[in-house]
Amino acid sequence: MAIDKRFIGREYGPFTYTIGAEKLREFAMAVGGAHPAAGTPGEPPAHVSPLLYDDQAAKAGPYGDLIAFPSFAVVFAIRPFATAVADPELEVNLLMLVHGEQELEFLDVMRPGDVMTTTGRISDIYEKAGKQFLIATTESRNQRGELVVKGTWTAVVRG
Amino acid sequence: MARSFQVGDTFTHVRECDVYRPIYYAGASGDFNPIHIDPEVGKVAGLDGVILQGLCTLGWAVEAVAVFVGDPGRIRKVKVRFSRPVRPEDTVTFEGRVTAIEAGRLTTEVTATNQRGEAVLRGAVVEASIG
Repeated sequence: MAIDKRFIGREYGPFTYTIGAEKLREFAMAVGGAHPAAGTPGEPPAHVSPLLYDDQAAKAGPYGDLIAFPSFAVVFAIRPFATAVADPELEVNLLMLVHGEQELEFLDVMRPGDVMTTTGRISDIYEKAGKQFLIATTESRNQRGELVVKGTWTAVVRG
Repeated sequence: MARSFQVGDTFTHVRECDVYRPIYYAGASGDFNPIHIDPEVGKVAGLDGVILQGLCTLGWAVEAVAVFVGDPGRIRKVKVRFSRPVRPEDTVTFEGRVTAIEAGRLTTEVTATNQRGEAVLRGAVVEASIG
């Protein structure tokens, strides 16, 4: 069943998220390929930048603190998109939903203690080749109101 | 000394999706969709087991470029289409090529291919600042 186009423009949020250092480390290790064991995040593989997990190296580095692996942004910036596709009024069949495309733009690095506020809206709904497409755009700002992450999220619903 | 980059430079990054990677990524990212952690649900969904979160594959494409430029804080943009799932025990090879350098920003096109030669991402573009 087609998603009603009248939901284009519907807004979700604001959602607020406070970035914690250990969550940044955990995410960097999970993407980077560490093998968590015994409650530790695991040994960082050689290709993982110390700026993502080593306090001393990060404080001596170009950003003066640990920074987030860029795609850590999905942890909080996904909220409007996730809320939109689960919005009961849209009647999206979640079992038929796949994440089709993703675009993220990073205007600055993210550090521990940053408080990110994300808002988003459904920017398009259309049908192509028998599939439904739902596009959400998001903006995440830090505690100083600076735009840090922009996202464009595409859901594809089969059938 | 700042490293110099040229249009046409290439780089390769290989990552294995080990058996528990979708679960580790679920914990770190909060994406506990059962198709990533429960093989039975994956079977019911017609996926023949669990699949890795596409956003983890996106993270690996970002990582490939971050390693190439030497600093994850320099990544400015990533855009991908998810064309095929990555499964536990798949090996994904990322091959990147610098397509433009302009105003202190480098643009790369990245392919991501599994061990059967199938593309798992399409049209992947990652940009990084080098200024």
